[in-house]
Amino acid sequence: MNLSELLIELLLMPLVAFVIGLGMVLMMRKIAARLGRRIGPPLLQPIYDIIKLYGKRTQISHGLIHEIGIIMAVGGYVAAETLLPVPGMNGLADKGGVITLAYVMMIPSLGMALGVGQCANPNGSIGISRALTAMLAYDIPFILVIFGAAYVYGTTNLADIIAIQQQQGVSGWGLMQMPLLALAGMLALPAVMGKQPFEIYIAPAEIATGPMVEMSGKFMGGLFVMQCFQLYTAGVLYTTLFLGGGAYWITFLPKIYAVVAIPMAAAMLFPRYRTEDVIRLMWKWPVLVGLMGLAVAMK
Amino acid sequence: MSKLDNIPVRHQPTEAAGRKRTNPLAHVFDELVKFCQSRSMFMLHYCTGCGAIELPPAMTSRFDMERLGIQPMVTPRQADILLITGYVSIKTLKRIILTYEQMQSPKYVIGICSCTVNGGMYWQSYATAKVLKDYLPVDVYIAGCMPRPEAVISGMRELMSDIKSGRAQNWKRYYENYDHYLGNQQKLFGEDWQTPTDIIAEARHYGLMTDRTLGEHTALLEKHQRPLEALEMRLSAREKQKT
Ligand code: SF4
Repeated sequence: MNLSELLIELLLMPLVAFVIGLGMVLMMRKIAARLGRRIGPPLLQPIYDIIKLYGKRTQISHGLIHEIGIIMAVGGYVAAETLLPVPGMNGLADKGGVITLAYVMMIPSLGMALGVGQCANPNGSIGISRALTAMLAYDIPFILVIFGAAYVYGTTNLADIIAIQQQQGVSGWGLMQMPLLALAGMLALPAVMGKQPFEIYIAPAEIATGPMVEMSGKFMGGLFVMQCFQLYTAGVLYTTLFLGGGAYWITFLPKIYAVVAIPMAAAMLFPRYRTEDVIRLMWKWPVLVGLMGLAVAMK
Repeated sequence: MSKLDNIPVRHQPTEAAGRKRTNPLAHVFDELVKFCQSRSMFMLHYCTGCGAIELPPAMTSRFDMERLGIQPMVTPRQADILLITGYVSIKTLKRIILTYEQMQSPKYVIGICSCTVNGGMYWQSYATAKVLKDYLPVDVYIAGCMPRPEAVISGMRELMSDIKSGRAQNWKRYYENYDHYLGNQQKLFGEDWQTPTDIIAEARHYGLMTDRTLGEHTALLEKHQRPLEALEMRLSAREKQKT
């Protein structure tokens, strides 16, 4: 692949991710609305929100680190998108691999922590400490699942992983080969996405949306953009590891949307867990199932 | 109290007054932003009086405000509309003003309930502020004791169409007539009343200084103003007693 092609892909991949992510945010809000017997927001609501936030007259910055934090939060995911192969575009997936991806996916949380730190709002600090604790909770099953999948496929290269699955058809999918690991991944997914019932770090009525408490205008807009990427990354990574990736967009899109929709639809029904319960839950069930899956895979 | 020129009339937008716009697409962007502002309104849930009870039905399955892009937000930093839902006691009014000043412009205030219009059934009470628009610029009033969710939603739609057409510029009046609003606030809270937000500096920043921004009341404010101090950091309450 020559350089100009690569550059175009690097530009296109985050853009595509953003558009798909907008759809996922909309879907998430629609699911929440439908479960409450509401109609939910109109089709373009996520875009309206983002444009409105960027168009605010007052933009309060709390200093350089605050701004860098948001750039890290969005930039970390933009980097992650270039490592995730999608139909027709591989980007840096050949060179990166799943371990780099796991590292890059931690950057946004750290960026948020930095940015929120400078806001010096106690609610924000409480929120970010909870968010980092939650990260500790879901990272263990997450790494377990990634390690298990890489072990079974014998490679950490995401493009190769997709190729291996696609050679054997549906029976070669990770879901069929290692159902326990796939289940563990599915259990950990809502926590990775930071959505109900694992959103104690946001806790609107208690600590006033935690990390976001001082974020306004374009900073909040940045976080809305980040949320799109976050859902997209979770969906695509899971699809790549367990659902055979996608040869064509037409088969790929339903898979990634379903991956986000299924845990979301179940999770919206639960009240939120406290931080220590998140850790207990995450370190118990997904880790247990994941370890069993690993044992089966290594037998 | 309510002279004719204090009534929040809709005045012409002064948007382009200070800045020179060179981008030929500036107006397209302005229209787009205005449209999005009208279709995405985050409202602060800060419920003051009994009228607040009509908001849950307006938000949940029966009337579903999210259809219109209206959703609750919890911090003033992110909110676009401040709903004053009912009678405002003097203590509450202080909090309302603090909250309002922390919101990011463009910001809008909706007064729900008759109590915010003219005192309603608390008209004779010594403890309530009667006419909300004496203290804050109000964009839309929704009268009724209490107004039904349909009325609340139609009020919201009114505000939406005002924002879309650029008529909802009342947040600028707070800067332009700060002396008047501050005067009314001082009448209620005493002359050493002050908030952490520096409205005069903000007015300067937005280019909204008029001859009504400064006056005798802001002079009084300057006399009493204490500089903001950072809160002292300590781990427990006991530590202070020791020193
Ligand atoms: S108008 Fe009626 S319902 Fe509304 S705050 Fe006043 S007394 Fe309560």
